[in-house]
Amino acid sequence: MAVQTAEKAPPAPKRSAGGAPEKRGRKRAFGFDRKVTPYLFVIPFFVVFGVFGLYPILYTFWVSLHDWHLVNGELGFVGLDNFTELFHDPDFYRALRNTLSIFVISTFPQLLFALGIAWMLDTKLRARSFWRSAVLVPNVVSIVAVGVVFSQMFAPSDWSVSNWLLSLVGLGAVDWPANVWSSHLAISVMVIWRWTGYNALIYLAAMQAVPRELYESAELDGASRWTTFWSVTVPSIRPTIVFTVVISTIGGLQLFTEPLLFGGVNGQEGGSDHQFQTLTLLLYKYAFVQQNSGYASAISWVLFLLIALMAVVNLLLVRRISSTR
Amino acid sequence: MAAKSTARAERRPGPLVYTAMALLVLASLFPLYWTFVVASNDNSVIGQSTPPLVPGGHLFDNFSRVFDSVEFWIAMKNSLIISTTTAVSNVVLSTMAGFAFAKLRFRGRNLLLGTVVATVMVPTQLGIVPLYMMITKMGLFASVSAVILPSLVSAFGVFWMRQAIDENIPDELVEAARVDGCRLIGVWWHVVLPGVRSTASVLAMFVFMTAWNDFFWPLIVLPPGTGGTVQTVLSQLAAGYFTDYSLIMSGAFLGVLPLLVLFVAFARQIVSGVMAGAVKG
Amino acid sequence: MGTTRIVRGARIFATCGAAALVLTACGSNSGSGGGDITLTVADFGGFGYDKLIKDYEKSHPGIKVKEKVAQFDPHHQQLSTQLAAGAGAADVVAIEEGYLPKFRQSKDKFVNLADHGADKLKDRWLPWKWEQGVTDNGKYVLGYGTDIGSLAMCYNTELFKKAGLPTDRDKVSALWTTWDDYLGVGHKFVRKVKGAGWYDTDQNLFTAIMNQTQYGFFDQDDKFIGDTNPKVKEAFLQAGKDAKKLSAKLLAFSPQWSAGIKKGAMATIPCPSWMNGLIETAAGKENSGKWDIAKLPGDGGNWGGSFLTVPKQGKHPKEAAELAAWLTAPEQEKRLFAEVGALPSQPALLKDPAILGKTRPFFNNAPVGKIYGDSATALQPNYRGSRDGDIRPGFSNALIRVEQGKQSPEASFNQAIKEAKKALKLG
Repeated sequence: MAVQTAEKAPPAPKRSAGGAPEKRGRKRAFGFDRKVTPYLFVIPFFVVFGVFGLYPILYTFWVSLHDWHLVNGELGFVGLDNFTELFHDPDFYRALRNTLSIFVISTFPQLLFALGIAWMLDTKLRARSFWRSAVLVPNVVSIVAVGVVFSQMFAPSDWSVSNWLLSLVGLGAVDWPANVWSSHLAISVMVIWRWTGYNALIYLAAMQAVPRELYESAELDGASRWTTFWSVTVPSIRPTIVFTVVISTIGGLQLFTEPLLFGGVNGQEGGSDHQFQTLTLLLYKYAFVQQNSGYASAISWVLFLLIALMAVVNLLLVRRISSTR
Repeated sequence: MAAKSTARAERRPGPLVYTAMALLVLASLFPLYWTFVVASNDNSVIGQSTPPLVPGGHLFDNFSRVFDSVEFWIAMKNSLIISTTTAVSNVVLSTMAGFAFAKLRFRGRNLLLGTVVATVMVPTQLGIVPLYMMITKMGLFASVSAVILPSLVSAFGVFWMRQAIDENIPDELVEAARVDGCRLIGVWWHVVLPGVRSTASVLAMFVFMTAWNDFFWPLIVLPPGTGGTVQTVLSQLAAGYFTDYSLIMSGAFLGVLPLLVLFVAFARQIVSGVMAGAVKG
Repeated sequence: MGTTRIVRGARIFATCGAAALVLTACGSNSGSGGGDITLTVADFGGFGYDKLIKDYEKSHPGIKVKEKVAQFDPHHQQLSTQLAAGAGAADVVAIEEGYLPKFRQSKDKFVNLADHGADKLKDRWLPWKWEQGVTDNGKYVLGYGTDIGSLAMCYNTELFKKAGLPTDRDKVSALWTTWDDYLGVGHKFVRKVKGAGWYDTDQNLFTAIMNQTQYGFFDQDDKFIGDTNPKVKEAFLQAGKDAKKLSAKLLAFSPQWSAGIKKGAMATIPCPSWMNGLIETAAGKENSGKWDIAKLPGDGGNWGGSFLTVPKQGKHPKEAAELAAWLTAPEQEKRLFAEVGALPSQPALLKDPAILGKTRPFFNNAPVGKIYGDSATALQPNYRGSRDGDIRPGFSNALIRVEQGKQSPEASFNQAIKEAKKALKLG
């Protein structure tokens, strides 16, 4: 657009007629350029976000106030009935519990491992770029492939890789999808496997920014490596840790692919007793399998508010941390 | 210089660290190795009391069976179109917006920038029901456009590019170009893009990988059976009447391969991108 | 500098423009290029169409056919979204009998095959099969019947021998007239043989028993009667009551199920004809001759079998209808019976000596034509409600819960009823 206008706007300036008219035309084009082009630069983002991000989220609320069938359309205004029903739905609370449980089981070990790995990477390792890339490899593998492969490794048969490993140390086979704890563990392993290296690199970046003098003075004080790690390293990178917790929270609350694939056929049910059905699986089930858009939209909104709440809590935490420092 | 480097010198890792790291890398690579092992064996090795741990010679047989049983090529083509288009559009649109936010003065700039920052964390996939309705109304169901449109540009990309442009492009350079008579689009092309080339290419790579691995939204608007993407087609292999482990794992391996190749080629940039993102985030 | 700048600037826009073009180009789904027509056939596996398709392409130059295979439930779920969206469906789509009533309600989205000469073909099929595929008193023909699934019991002769049970198929059939007899033999079996289940999974047992009843989850007014129809609970408890002891606990049609067949993890599998092919593939050549087929306890019944439909949104309805008619023509059904075990749904074929005399080497040369064909002509198909497909997964899960030892059969059944009612709330 800008190019065309600028090219055509000057009404056939005669080159021979001296600089004046050309300059004026140019100036006008320049003014347009200065005033309008910045908006043209930023507008695509706002259009895309508005149309495909904000509008659907707001519209979700409208849908949630109706009986609404995905295919047959709106079937009548019901006010907050969908929400009332949701808050009396044991499936919702179970999904909430499952989501939080898997989130906790996957996030905390993951971040602890990541800290440890970052600490090891933050040394004079030989071939350091090899190590750094190697820990990132799982993150490149698609979640679907992770889900497919790990679901086979955690298959409920005696001959699956996981049960074979258990048998090596003399333990019996586990029917992984059958129980709450074992299914949550299996799903968490997928999450941990995929994200630990990524978080380790983020911590590594933060650790490298820690002034070395802090370490030196700690060493002079005769602190062991262990104490140095906890008293110097971790406090210095606290904001980064909070950042990773925030990111993991947002991702964790929307966990979908891993449990879906772990569930196999009719994976949206999250196991025979919904023992690993997460909130997003529930959302998917109601939206696209049962085609109950109204109810699904209510789930969306609750999930949305939950994430917002978590974000605010995290934000407050960050504030407190920065003010105490 | 020497003094400084000793000041920066990290601890020297002992053999313990190397062992731990080696074990770790083994753990991260084992699932991939095992995928390859099963993919390269025929199905008869399954069900033995010890799982197969050595590659066999059936890799290409299994690959061709995957190609026969699911439409892998179409899915591959769709995934390539989606990932490439979104990568290019993200770079173009993010650097443009980032340029405006970093270097240009216009009314409402701070407010708009604040809006961008505020939207970084908005989980837009929660609007999936209306989004689906919209896409169907537009007649885009089962087309790659349905997957591409919502991810043409992201708040994260805009924010990241704004930072990169702010840090790497001196104001004087922009001014000089303008005095030279460049219009803004020219400045963007001649000064901004070359100036943040490396960050922009990392952004492109990230967008490409994210788009390649995306699953939730494509599953809904471009499901297998309508062409699908590599990921949605892959998810098909996992269960149902496809009961052949070698087939499943061959599919998984094929789905991972392109990104592994990309990763091996650009590992350094990707690693630096993750680490840079950390500092900025 | 000035010109190059403008030219370059223009080129940038040209590239952005090109990206936009790519978008629109992709938006309009790629049609057929050149003179060739490409038809797609979507099914959920086990149809055995790949060889037939190659022959069709040979005898119909200018037409290319592609088969798309998906998982059973997702296949049908996706079809309903594709129909609603008006895009994405294949030219010829297989719909299983359990899901057909649901799609009968949106018949407008399908080509009425009566407009493509279906009436002339009507006599090909068993009357009950034909009826399942039509609506509006037979005026609207939704689909052509593929196979039917009359029932039998597949059993592993090696495991029977180990348990001291007879292996001859007539003697095996004589072991059980009722399901209680069958379970009784099962208890004897598991006492003798360790490490193998009597049956593969209670899910398949339940489905088989349900298919022997006239009405299951819905009555003919499409009202849910799962909670009041005693047959449903009976079937559920029959399948579930001894599952902890007797079942090999292998999720139906999962990779573990296949691997279990290969390993000989179960002695019996209730098997409709189309399952023969699945068992044979799963077991592998090394197990050829180790399996056999006997009579199922109880009455005859039908499990599965599909219809080929032509969604209206396709670009080539005429060619698609022709292909669907061809794939379900007697010659092809005959071939499919030989190749994958899909039992023809056509009376002429069921009397055909070539079919009746057909034996299957893998199943110890069992006369599959006779075993399956005999019961097919007389059978009473189980009535399906329009939302059968929506509630089935809940009952499958309930049976899995029983096998996993999470719940008693009674409690699990009650939960399944509750979930079914919830699933039926809207729509």
